[in-house]
Amino acid sequence: MQTPDPFPRTNLLLSLGCIVFALVAVFLWIPMDSGSGLILKVRRQVNIGDALAPTIAATVIGLGGVMVFFQRRAPNAGGISLRNLGSVAYLLAICGVSFALMRWTGPVVAWIAGGITGEALDYRLLRDTAPWKYLGFVLGGWVLVSALIGWIEGRITARGLIVGALASLALALLYGVPFDHLLLPPNGDV
Amino acid sequence: MTAFDYIMAGILAVFQGPVAFSFLGLPISVTVVMVLAGFVLGIMVGATPGLAGPMAMAISLPILISIFGFSSDALLPVLGFLIGVMKGATVGGAVPAILFNTPGTPDAYMTTLDGYPMAQAGQARKALKVAHFSSAAGDTFSDIVLIVCAPFLALLVERYLDLPEKTALLILSLAFIAAIIGGSVGKGIIAMGLGLLVAFIGTGEDFYPRLSFGTQTLAQGFSVTAVILGVLILGEVFKAFEDMWHNHRRAQPAKETPQQGDQRLHAADLKRIAPHVARSAVIGTVIGALPGIGSTLAATLGYSVGARTHARRHPDRKPFGQGAPEGIAATEAANSSVSGANLIPVLSLGIPGNAAAVFLILAAESIGGFNPGPAVFRFSTDTVNPELVMAFGIFTAMMLGNLFNWTLGGLFMRAAGVMVRVPKHMLLPVVLLMTLTAIYVQDPRMQAIWFTIGFGVLGYGMRRLGISPLPFVIAFILGGKLEETARQAFAATGADPWFLFNRPVAAILILAAIGFVAVSLRKPSETQQ
Amino acid sequence: MKRVLKAAVAAIGLVAFSGGAMAADWTPPGPIKLMIAFAAGGGADTQARLIAEDIETKLGWKFIPEQVTGKGGMNLAMALKDQPNDGTVIGMVVTETLGYNMLAANAGVTPEDFTAISTTAGFQMGIVSQSSKGWADFNDVIKAAKSGQDIRFGVMSPKLADIAYLLGKAQGVDFNIVSGKGGKAVMNGVMAGDMDLGFMAGIQAKGVAAGDLVNLASALSTPLKQTPDAPLMSDFGVEFNADGYFALIGPKGMPTEVRDAIAAAVIDAITGEGNKSAAMITKAFGEPATISGDALQSLVQADYDAAGRLMKAASE
Repeated sequence: MQTPDPFPRTNLLLSLGCIVFALVAVFLWIPMDSGSGLILKVRRQVNIGDALAPTIAATVIGLGGVMVFFQRRAPNAGGISLRNLGSVAYLLAICGVSFALMRWTGPVVAWIAGGITGEALDYRLLRDTAPWKYLGFVLGGWVLVSALIGWIEGRITARGLIVGALASLALALLYGVPFDHLLLPPNGDV
Repeated sequence: MTAFDYIMAGILAVFQGPVAFSFLGLPISVTVVMVLAGFVLGIMVGATPGLAGPMAMAISLPILISIFGFSSDALLPVLGFLIGVMKGATVGGAVPAILFNTPGTPDAYMTTLDGYPMAQAGQARKALKVAHFSSAAGDTFSDIVLIVCAPFLALLVERYLDLPEKTALLILSLAFIAAIIGGSVGKGIIAMGLGLLVAFIGTGEDFYPRLSFGTQTLAQGFSVTAVILGVLILGEVFKAFEDMWHNHRRAQPAKETPQQGDQRLHAADLKRIAPHVARSAVIGTVIGALPGIGSTLAATLGYSVGARTHARRHPDRKPFGQGAPEGIAATEAANSSVSGANLIPVLSLGIPGNAAAVFLILAAESIGGFNPGPAVFRFSTDTVNPELVMAFGIFTAMMLGNLFNWTLGGLFMRAAGVMVRVPKHMLLPVVLLMTLTAIYVQDPRMQAIWFTIGFGVLGYGMRRLGISPLPFVIAFILGGKLEETARQAFAATGADPWFLFNRPVAAILILAAIGFVAVSLRKPSETQQ
Repeated sequence: MKRVLKAAVAAIGLVAFSGGAMAADWTPPGPIKLMIAFAAGGGADTQARLIAEDIETKLGWKFIPEQVTGKGGMNLAMALKDQPNDGTVIGMVVTETLGYNMLAANAGVTPEDFTAISTTAGFQMGIVSQSSKGWADFNDVIKAAKSGQDIRFGVMSPKLADIAYLLGKAQGVDFNIVSGKGGKAVMNGVMAGDMDLGFMAGIQAKGVAAGDLVNLASALSTPLKQTPDAPLMSDFGVEFNADGYFALIGPKGMPTEVRDAIAAAVIDAITGEGNKSAAMITKAFGEPATISGDALQSLVQADYDAAGRLMKAASE
């Protein structure tokens, strides 16, 4: 005997979701957001328009949804629980914090340093100069790795912090030192 | 240039390329060094549970491109390295399977069935040798088939297939992959449709970047790297995070059993495993040549066919599953012989069949100057076709990889046993940071990182819902090409709306596509990962 | 008329150049982001990267190349538009981006929203077929089409599609116009027999030299260097041409001294003896083209204005 399926309605929801998405895409999104229709006539020649391929793709999604609907009772369909959603949210939060650190550490430090020294320091112009160019990446990367290790271990450990620091430093050096033209985050954005 | 000249030029391109260093007065080319480096890395990665060959390929690609730049000189060292990783990971996967009952790569699961019992009986070294021999033999066989078949298939396609037929062939490949991968054809179709739709965002012929909601952010579409690394690598990493978090369990590898007795592989042993190696090599090669099926199925098939034959012919010997070397041979020869044959559709048609092939295409696309597809095998006589030289260079690099595998593979396999002790929960966050950095280096926008995370979440969701991410990725890669070919076919036939159906070859291909989906619909059960 | 205008423009270009060389005491305040509108690894991309490399070697400036591809350079133009105009962000496009494509895209920008800095090379744009087709020049194509043969004409941009259409219209034949993504796609299409002929902007040179390919006509206002005898567009009753250049542009309002300093550095790189970019351009595109400053600005503006007439003609 099998254990009862924890997600009895996964396939049903998946198939309905796909069908609804396909309908919205085919009748609303694609027609409203494409430069030309399904076909268009230019230079006395009929051509395939920009909307045709996405419409077919969306139709394929819808068809897949219909197929899943007819096979919805297949066992072990998998599923997404609240617990799954929670851990994804947690993961995204960790990413959000560390990316924000990556993006803004350099500019903020430059701004503060400029305030103290009275020089007009613009991070954009410093983004190719050590140590400025490493600030955001190393701090953000450190937080990312250490926080993830801490999350899995259930607590922040010295080992996790050390691994995080070493990893982000090593990566910064790996990309930053030998390769002149490479940009570490966030130096392409500023 | 004659065909022979091209072959020679390809071989020379590998050995006479830029010199890395001299060894005993003999100049050693960079490509040779890179194949070896990739091979060693591949074994280590393959032997690390939780890491796989494609992951190492994905992360090393931007570093390699940074080192070698975007020139045609970069192609062979970079592709050589990736091919080395691919080959190394194939043999490396067997190491923890045999020593610790933990498959290093999914396709080595069947290896645990006989490998671990052998290790428990004190025959680990011998089991590793069997695995190594079978794997190297299967791999080499598969590469030979590739080298012989790919050029002819490409020539055939180029000579007989016009634009409508090429369109139909792409549709057939996608339908086949969607129908065959994973348990449910409906879910495969959904993944394929999604992959196509994502490929169409921001692209198109009109100057308005379609499906971009009028934003500049989506106008450039999604970079191939962000989508592929997100869905294939981060999706897997996210799922692993969550599993580790829920289980709170550190990987605690079983203790190694003390080894005893004769560990050597004798002629008699080889004779015992040879039929299994041969049979599985053929099974793996055939499966590998079909896009999308992959090495895990090949291993399963090779093992089960082998088990049946073994039980029938040699009821006196140890049966499969209790420590039979034949079982290891049947599995390893099958899963290793997929990798070479898998490049047949890549090189001759430009259609990737598995994750490793996806990264080879990604590498070729990122560097430029080599576009896998039938045009590669144009044997032009008056001018040099550099892509063809490159193709033979790739073949040479593969054979070189096999040579390393035969000579040094066994040595590295024994050394790779330590990799199982790497704590996965520390390794994966580092892998995540490496992947994101790799993305940013190629596409320096924080947006690209967020896109990758987004596709990682998509890949995670697909895995949780039992949707295989591979049809998504392959459809994404082929989407642009499919649309362009269809547009060209439509224009070239003077706007004939039935161009897919009123030519015999195209019609047959389309019917076959519909047939595959229809037949797959009749298998109701899902097999979940 | 147009040819006279071009000559005048070129003459002004020389003046602007000699003026620019003197203003070269400007140095960039930080690294220069070099956006490239072409796929990595292709000829156009290599050219841009080599120019940056040569300038780095000579002047010690620092470039950070970055790919911003798609939509015939319009993605790059839209990304470049709002960047700082102090010379720290520039982009490599083709003049067609600021001309036909900008007008066709209707994205709310005109050439005036950008600062034209300098061209680097021109295209040797020809109409090319495999020599095994047996066509000696474009007249044979017209004959074949008139005898009822379906002709597939490969193009790589809407502007070229318009020109192909007008060629057919002027000669009273219909081509099946097949568009490919980039010159390489058209070349592969022609080689594979998927297209009968197509526009190629220089990559045909090797094949033509070897006798595999043949330049059926020049798509330029002037004869092709490699095949000077090939007829011109005007010989077939088409007043438009596919003249075009690779060009460096910046955001609107870049100070003249900055613009001229960058232009001077670029021209120095692509014309300097022994420079990597100079060698590459000579090999791939024939010779460097050095129209810069105001001359280039008026050239792209003229292209933009002409594009409207081309579109109108092609829509009739």
